[in-house]
Amino acid sequence: MKNIVTVAALVALVAALGAVPWLGSAPIVQFGINALLVATLAQGWNIIGGYTGYASFGNSVFYGLGTYGTAIAMANYHLPFGVGLVCGAVLGVACALLFGLPILRLRGPYFAIATLGLSAVMGALVSNLDIAGRNIGLILPLFRGDELFYELALGLLVLATLTVFWVSRSRFGAGLVAIRENEDAAAVMGINTTLYKVLALALAGFFSALAGGIHAYWITFIDPSSAFDSTLNVKMVIMAVFGGPGTVFGPVIGAFLLSGISELLASNVSTVASLFYGLVIVLAVVFMPKGLVDMGGGVRRLGWKYFIQNIRQNRL
Amino acid sequence: MELFAQIVVNGMLLGGLYGLMALGMGLVWGVLNIVNLAHGALIMLGGYAVYYLYTGAGIDPFAALPIAMLALFCFGFVLQKLLLNLIVRSALLNTLLITFGLDVVFTYLAQLAFSADFRTINPPYAGNNFSFVGLTIPVGRLAAFAVALLLAGLLWLFLERTRTGRAIRATAQNLTAARLYGVNPKTIYALTFGIGAALAGAAGGLYGVVGQITPYIGVTLTAKSFVIAILGGLDKPLGVIAGGIALGVAEALTALYIGPTYTDVIGFGLLVLVLVSRPAQIFERA
Repeated sequence: MKNIVTVAALVALVAALGAVPWLGSAPIVQFGINALLVATLAQGWNIIGGYTGYASFGNSVFYGLGTYGTAIAMANYHLPFGVGLVCGAVLGVACALLFGLPILRLRGPYFAIATLGLSAVMGALVSNLDIAGRNIGLILPLFRGDELFYELALGLLVLATLTVFWVSRSRFGAGLVAIRENEDAAAVMGINTTLYKVLALALAGFFSALAGGIHAYWITFIDPSSAFDSTLNVKMVIMAVFGGPGTVFGPVIGAFLLSGISELLASNVSTVASLFYGLVIVLAVVFMPKGLVDMGGGVRRLGWKYFIQNIRQNRL
Repeated sequence: MELFAQIVVNGMLLGGLYGLMALGMGLVWGVLNIVNLAHGALIMLGGYAVYYLYTGAGIDPFAALPIAMLALFCFGFVLQKLLLNLIVRSALLNTLLITFGLDVVFTYLAQLAFSADFRTINPPYAGNNFSFVGLTIPVGRLAAFAVALLLAGLLWLFLERTRTGRAIRATAQNLTAARLYGVNPKTIYALTFGIGAALAGAAGGLYGVVGQITPYIGVTLTAKSFVIAILGGLDKPLGVIAGGIALGVAEALTALYIGPTYTDVIGFGLLVLVLVSRPAQIFERA
């Protein structure tokens, strides 16, 4: 019974979100598209960073490749948007598989830095390619329809969240959590850790690339610095960690909440919004390392002692 | 051939500075087991400190280095004592995340305080150079190289010969045993992080003399420092300088023969190659 109520509430929530373009004003719809796309990125990061425990600081690469895959198909070969999205997704997943195999052999900080390096390098590589318009970028055919992009972004986020829900319940997800908790033990238990890790990264790459593709056609102009924007890594990691890494709804809640607050701050000075993200992550790691979702239950149980307990567990 | 030799010399001189950047990161990593993703941002802050000491107070950049180092030492000490000591025992992901957050905070605070303009520390002798067996040696880069070597040597002496240095090494090897011998890890950790920050400050000041400072240089420098710290080994200051020289030469040759946009690509190509080809040795230490 409780399950049915939860599902009904979620369906109603999605329906309400889906109705926003017909009720809200243009700025709200545009803010919504950005928030939904970045929530999708956070959800993608959740699979590799939250469930598998591999802190990737380079998921923006998949987003950028999705952007470029879509843009190259549409601008250079005049293919329809759907085909472009597929091209972008293929490019993103291919990159995740290609780079995942070598760098997922690395653990902890080695993996983190390798992904950081990948994100710094990919923009430079793409800006040397003729087919990608070098430094100048590409212009996509103009299409005005914020409603369509909003619904697409919402659909993508729902798909990503359903995937994460499946991961959280499946044998595959249990394997990922086992890798996060103790990779050697997981391998001994018969989990093909390499396969699991690469699949997790490929899933993250798939959703990030699709988000990039939607964004490309919505904005209609892309260049290396906007497609491989490293601040996207900052955002998606912080949103997932703030909301609750390794939970189904945490990253989405974190993304909506932080997008909203930073939008309010950015209306004054855009630097303040970025600063805010940095402060949030520092405070979140100290006071609520398990995220907003865990804090909800913890504070109800322990009150303010919840925060003290978190610090006591981790201090020197 | 002459061009080749010149490029190698340029790369070596820059590489000494790279090594200095990595020294602090390697020290903090080896002792505290924190991969400090804000290290590049500390380098950037050191650069601004020397820049303002030079343009504001008229102090020669090389004389301003100790002042900047002292300032960053205090900053690092307090940061570790009040903030990072709170989370030092938590999972590696969390220490990565918090230093990543600090990097963002420092970067945008610097943008607010110092603006996003490019800054160069430009003393009158910076453009001078002299000839040596047919090679042109820029004075600024040579001095930066010499300071980097000097600081690496001092760090090595400090770690090997002083009581505090031994306490730091003992803490790195075995925290519990060091505690039993009366080492106070909170202070040692803060001291180590402070030294790391001071080295970053020196590197930043020198970087401002040979290059340009903006609030955004941090991420690239963090990643470079990481590559070099691994190439050189975490506990050997002179090895780290050698790692820096290796990266500097590789970058200079790449810029000449393949193209300047690929220099960063080579750096990270090297990183992945080194990590994937000899991980066993490195993981033992980590």
